[in-house]
Amino acid sequence: MQDSIRSRRLSRAASLAGTGTRVGVNYLKHYGKKALTGKSDETALHEANATEVYGTFAKLKGGPLKLAQMLSIDKNMLPEAYRSQFAQAQYSAPPLSYPLVARTFRREFGKEPSELFDTFTREAACGASIGQVHKATKDGKTYAVKVQYPGVAESLTSDLALVKPFALQVLGLREADVAPYFAEVQERLLEETDYKTELANSQKLSKSSGEIPGVRFPTYIPELSSSKILTMTWEPGVPLDQFTAAHEGAEHQELRNRIGQALWDFYHHQIHDLRIFHADPHPGNFLVDEDGILTVLDFGCTKAVGDPFYSDYFKLLSPGFLSDREAFADALIKLDILQPSDPARSREVIIENAHRGTSLLARPFHQSPFDFGDPSYMEAIVELGESGRKDRELKEIKTARGSADSIYLNRAYFGLYSLMAALQAKVKTVLPEPAA
Amino acid sequence: MTDEPLHPTPTENEETMSDRAAIRTAYIDHLLDHGHPPASVHAFAKHLNISERAFFEHFASFETLEGSIWADLVDDVAHAVTTGDEWQHFTAREQMLAFFYAFTENILDHRSFFLERFPRPSSGSATSRTGLRATAKLRHRFREFAHPVLDAGIASGELKQRGPIGDRYPRILTTLFLSVIHYNLTDESEGFARTDAFIEKSTHLAFDLMGAGVVDSALDLARFLSGHLRHT
Repeated sequence: MQDSIRSRRLSRAASLAGTGTRVGVNYLKHYGKKALTGKSDETALHEANATEVYGTFAKLKGGPLKLAQMLSIDKNMLPEAYRSQFAQAQYSAPPLSYPLVARTFRREFGKEPSELFDTFTREAACGASIGQVHKATKDGKTYAVKVQYPGVAESLTSDLALVKPFALQVLGLREADVAPYFAEVQERLLEETDYKTELANSQKLSKSSGEIPGVRFPTYIPELSSSKILTMTWEPGVPLDQFTAAHEGAEHQELRNRIGQALWDFYHHQIHDLRIFHADPHPGNFLVDEDGILTVLDFGCTKAVGDPFYSDYFKLLSPGFLSDREAFADALIKLDILQPSDPARSREVIIENAHRGTSLLARPFHQSPFDFGDPSYMEAIVELGESGRKDRELKEIKTARGSADSIYLNRAYFGLYSLMAALQAKVKTVLPEPAA
Repeated sequence: MTDEPLHPTPTENEETMSDRAAIRTAYIDHLLDHGHPPASVHAFAKHLNISERAFFEHFASFETLEGSIWADLVDDVAHAVTTGDEWQHFTAREQMLAFFYAFTENILDHRSFFLERFPRPSSGSATSRTGLRATAKLRHRFREFAHPVLDAGIASGELKQRGPIGDRYPRILTTLFLSVIHYNLTDESEGFARTDAFIEKSTHLAFDLMGAGVVDSALDLARFLSGHLRHT
């Protein structure tokens, strides 16, 4: 057991910015697997494993679920031992009982769901990481009502503390190295437990992103929302992954391009114009209706991108930048991917790896329109993640790299790329300003 | 739940009702102010400016007085939940959950009284014999409430009747009820949110155990193995 854990130890410096890349690769493996061709038996096996692992984690709730999503959902990243540890911990809690939902309503509004709505489903329509969603109607309108699990905020800290030693052991990291990541995760999660923050984020982001064609947001109802309950209009459509599965053929290419473009523009607008973005690009957070209109849900996790991180990060995308090795190395130091104390050999490996990663990730920005349906591109990204994981030199580097800010930005970009890959969309891209 | 949860039984006329309620309120006040019941009915009656006879018309002792308070606490919550619109559509599990949520909500109005009678183990203050016997009334009334809920659950197949083990179901739920009270009284989370989680999880566990499934499979295996051992 010990040996197998050790042999799977990961280097956090594997590519562009550690965690995010790996998370992204796993997202890709899950949601972008349709874009991969020539599935060998081995790939099929990997996929099966990954799906199985994801199934286990999808049942988790609260902090560990979020953490698992962030740390990645791949079997290589989270070995068997880690997985069974979670399973034993009994995080797969059953849905909230209706009496508790009713009690939460009484606490928050002094009224029963039946007094506030014309109809209200006793069973949850679907789960969320820290709550569940009920379908309700009032005056002919349909609403989605998200109710938070009780005590989530209280147990979050202890849940994370419980998971932490295990994460350290499995990943072979030192506590000091991962502390910023845990702090970041915890801060964001605590933010998510206050639905008032989500309400404010949603209203702000949907208002300032209202101009983007093909993108829509639910209307949030402040009068029927509180810190534990969030009410919004029920939007038509199916989750993005279901939609892509049902619209794979070439005859739907134009439709998929349109949705992909809307998604791309939405993220571009947020990250580069608003500098605050929806940091959870999970396919379940996007609905597509019959007309191909995209509805963006769940603004629980938003992240602001501040300077100088923003400039440092996106400067990497400048077309000429990648050929200037010294400037590139300096930029890596600014982003904490490379550390001045690194020995010469590690330094070369890190720079080389980051260089490969960055050029791959920058490619959509350099070619417009870019075709995410090109299987060789997705294969190259997956390959990058794999080689980073297998590289002996990189494995020796056991410290976490990349500033905490980059966790969310990488997660957003890789999540976005994987959604685009699943859509096999061809989209127009523009370089962000620091790179232009 | 009513705003005056300790309402008297409806058979008495208004004047004696208010006397009865007034005596009970004065008793709780004394108990919480002094940390113990009044020294005697004589002293208590004098303090209330009523005759001893007036006291004994309503209660035979402080113990029965306190017992009636506990009984009403359960009865009021039971009445409130069973008359709710959705009660008839609830499963036994949901009915029990609804009761626990309503009851812990009600504790908020009487928290000091509960803390007096369910002291924390660390506080060092032991509950008096009066208190112990009085809270027996609480357990008794709860069992009366739980019986029909369990019966309905068994009739619908939600719960499994298991002979002698099944006979212990009311006792299992009573233990659960008391642990919910204890948990709530030591809960320091905001809005007692952890109590809600505790109720949810422990009730699910109790009903899972009482339902068909794991326990039967375990018993079945045990029976099989013991038979197997005997044969070899």
